[in-house]
Amino acid sequence: MTRFRRPFLVAVSVCLAGAVLSAARPRYGGTLKLETTDTGAMRRVNALVYEQLITIDGSGMLRPALATTWNANTGGKRWTIRLRHGVKLHDGSTLQPPQIAAILQALHGDWQIATEGDALVIDPARDMSDLPWELADSSNAIAVRQGTGTTVGSGPFRIERVAAGVIALRAHEEYWDGRPFLDAVEVRTGRSSAEQLTDVETGRADMVSIQPTDVRRSEQRQLRIESSEPLELIALTFEPPLATSANEAIRRTFAAAIDRAAIARVVLQGRAEPATAMLPQRLSGYAPFVLDRTAVPLSRNAVIALPANRRTFALRVTPSDAVAQAVAQRIAVNARDAGFMLTVQAPAGLGPRFDVRLVRLPFRAAAPPEALSDLMAGLGPRILTLLGRITRPDPGASLGDVLSAERAMLATDIIVPVVHVPELYAVAPRVQSWNGSAVLSSGGWNLANVWLNAP
Amino acid sequence: MSLRNRLFLLVSAVVLLTVVLVTLTVSASARQSFAMLDVERTAALVEQFRREFADQGLQVAERVDRVAQSDEVSRIAASRDVAPYVNEATTLAAAQGLDVLDVVAADGTIVSSAEWPARFGYRNGWITAGRTADAPAAFLQAIELPETTTLALVAIRTLAAGAGNLYIAGGRRLDRKFLQSLVLAPGMRVLLYQNLQPEISNRQLLTGEDDALEAAPLEPLIARVIHNRQETKETIEWPDGPETVDALPLSGRDGSVLGVLLVGSSGRQLAALVSRIRWSGVAFGSVAIALGFILAFVISARVTRPVEQLAGAARTVADGDWDVHVDDVRTTGEIKVLADAFETMTRQLVDHRDRLVQAERVAAWRELARRLAHELKNPLFPLRITIDNLRRAKSLPPGEFDEVFDESLTTLQTGLGNLNTVVGRFSDFAKMPAPEFAQVSVNEIVEQSASLFRAQLASPGHPPVTLTLDLDPSLGVIRGDSEQLRRAVQNLLLNAIDAMPGGGALRIVTRRDGAVVRIDVSDTGQGLNEEERKRLFTPYYTTKQHGTGLGLAIVQSVVADHAGKIWVDSDPGRGATFHIELPA
Repeated sequence: MTRFRRPFLVAVSVCLAGAVLSAARPRYGGTLKLETTDTGAMRRVNALVYEQLITIDGSGMLRPALATTWNANTGGKRWTIRLRHGVKLHDGSTLQPPQIAAILQALHGDWQIATEGDALVIDPARDMSDLPWELADSSNAIAVRQGTGTTVGSGPFRIERVAAGVIALRAHEEYWDGRPFLDAVEVRTGRSSAEQLTDVETGRADMVSIQPTDVRRSEQRQLRIESSEPLELIALTFEPPLATSANEAIRRTFAAAIDRAAIARVVLQGRAEPATAMLPQRLSGYAPFVLDRTAVPLSRNAVIALPANRRTFALRVTPSDAVAQAVAQRIAVNARDAGFMLTVQAPAGLGPRFDVRLVRLPFRAAAPPEALSDLMAGLGPRILTLLGRITRPDPGASLGDVLSAERAMLATDIIVPVVHVPELYAVAPRVQSWNGSAVLSSGGWNLANVWLNAP
Repeated sequence: MSLRNRLFLLVSAVVLLTVVLVTLTVSASARQSFAMLDVERTAALVEQFRREFADQGLQVAERVDRVAQSDEVSRIAASRDVAPYVNEATTLAAAQGLDVLDVVAADGTIVSSAEWPARFGYRNGWITAGRTADAPAAFLQAIELPETTTLALVAIRTLAAGAGNLYIAGGRRLDRKFLQSLVLAPGMRVLLYQNLQPEISNRQLLTGEDDALEAAPLEPLIARVIHNRQETKETIEWPDGPETVDALPLSGRDGSVLGVLLVGSSGRQLAALVSRIRWSGVAFGSVAIALGFILAFVISARVTRPVEQLAGAARTVADGDWDVHVDDVRTTGEIKVLADAFETMTRQLVDHRDRLVQAERVAAWRELARRLAHELKNPLFPLRITIDNLRRAKSLPPGEFDEVFDESLTTLQTGLGNLNTVVGRFSDFAKMPAPEFAQVSVNEIVEQSASLFRAQLASPGHPPVTLTLDLDPSLGVIRGDSEQLRRAVQNLLLNAIDAMPGGGALRIVTRRDGAVVRIDVSDTGQGLNEEERKRLFTPYYTTKQHGTGLGLAIVQSVVADHAGKIWVDSDPGRGATFHIELPA
């Protein structure tokens, strides 16, 4: 018996190992059906079609793309970018260095760009030590305009068809990093969160964007949750007359009453981060700061002693936004605990007057100045006027400038950060990824490394 | 009031009284029936509520049991991190049809709440405040919601968890839907007062309908039930009618009154019924009165018309026309007997009158003959003596004969003249002319007539008679014949003077009395007895030795021609007063 046992065990082990390897081996073919909301869909599609010279990987580090290396002389006043050789565009032609130089020159008129063989020599007008980061921004993607007026890229997928609510992508067979595993990607936009979730549960979609409140339901249905870094700030903005300086103590009390941790951990199912600043710590790099405020929070008894009209607020949320409403309801409970009377409004049309609005402010996973600029743009000019003279940081502004702007924004509690929320996707079990997650930390889709298991 | 009207009123009153009595009797009976029905309906509804309440309690307890035994709750109990289960209560409550479901940790903090999902992490006061052991039956509990507080029928179950107990408290709201599930009889309604505020408020009152309700009239009743904790019944007056309200206290686990069930039975139906009966009574009464009118008309045609004919005939008889016949009255019975008797009476009256007239006429002729004989006899006697003297003087010498003859002729002429005078007076009375009417002054006539007699009265040897005039200056004029009136007044004055042969006082008074003018002529003579008064105005009747008996007859004739009236007041020995009334 013992003589036969060992070979038998070896054979069984070999079979099992083969089966495991077979299951883990990438598979070519298939169409990935991806559903998302309208917000940023085209930007993500473009990232699959058009490439930058340099890109940012899942760990936030710079990674070669159309460029293979980049070097700067002292001070970053001249950069030499060596380009990848033999990159094929979607129309079958080879991407030439002069084409890239012309595109970048068109985007940055103050740069001096020249070609030296397979290399670009860039002389920016000023010292740019972060030029590679600038080149990694999606705004510097290389899109070659053809004679017909259309543009072609060099990314892993090309646009095959754009119809109402559907963008069809086809694999770029001559992609410089190897043909994608997927034959095609079908991106559907305009579907509601509930419809997307139903689609992925019933197999009509492979990957859908979800809200944090849907995480548990998705997990219960054996769907994999993949998320980006925080790319959205949920915050409160006060409206006049509450936004006046006379009510600063009330705003401070109100802001202090919000249990951000419970919102992040329970309402948003641990998929959000409590926010005490406009930018998430991971992006800004500095620790949560403490503002020096003149106003101190009121006690509960002091709040209750206030006239009813000064402690009764209406909080406006978007009616179709379930996440915002859930967060608002929790804030209402916190406010009530602090002695305020807060009613949540979610009118379909023009609603009654409100005192506080719950806003969702998306921002790019880019450098802090750009991210803060996105947030300020999301707030709109009216709130910015209430905040006072706050200068929007220029691209490339220092972290000190960003910190100053952020402090100025938060000093009066007219805007109250609540949580930072990432972009979440529910991914069907048959969707596999070769190198990293299907969703990048920047929120982009890493579909070049995704394949589909056989049904 | 005529017999017809009295008859009509009598019939109407009888009919009306009958209708009113019937209406009141029916109304009272309806009220009594409604009161009994109201008691039965209220008792049935209260019993239905209690049964429904108990059924709901059992259902709630069963469903909370199912929740407590579910896999999801087991997972929560076994889990260290309960954050993923924050919405579990909502799902479980929806699956079990519960309005309220709280999953509460051992320390009393809410893990998941269906009725207020955002309240996780806060303490639930009531689940752990009382007994921590399972409450086998459901009980009433005040439940906090985001906007308000409501009443719910809840049950609690306890599960052993790793870190201690896990409490499951679920239930159903006692709200409008619950009230709507109760089957109500027409005219009934059920209300629920939620005693969740320190003061009684309209907002705490739930009805099965969407209409807002004014709670003010109910507040005293609600307050009394809450205070006494006893079922109380009271009639509430609403603007549109009364309502009998039975109020039941609904107690919570600790015995406090958390709600009051109000079962109302509207008196509006009863009021409507009574109103209908009343209006029916009015309608029937109106019809009955109309019928009574017709009946009275018919009865009057058969009963009162003969009576009215008889009354008219009687008035005609009273006016002096006795020649009235009621033989055309068509009736039977007593009225027929009465009509026949009336006919007989008038016939007999006419017969008597005719006989009386005939007798009067005979008497008048006899009186006339007697008077004529008397008047003619006096002048004829000297004529016969004279003629006898002439026959005897025939034998006298011619001288003496001539003297006697001449003397006799003178006597014959005087006697024939007297006869002529007597005949002339009778002729004058027979030929009284018709009056010629004009505007005349009665006072002037009286004064002129009196002046004619003043000289006579003042003549020497005439008995002393004092003539006094008392004339009304406002008498004015009347329509009359001045000559005839003057003659009438003079006759009265002459008559009065004749009545006072020994002297006395003669007084003439004129007065205006409403629509008549009166002339009173009074003397202080010997007066008249009753027989004399009755016959005074009969022609040719006189109490005087040399009177013709025509003076007062002429006066009566003149007064009658002027549509007036004459009468005399007198007692023997106390003088007499003649009264004349003439239309002004």
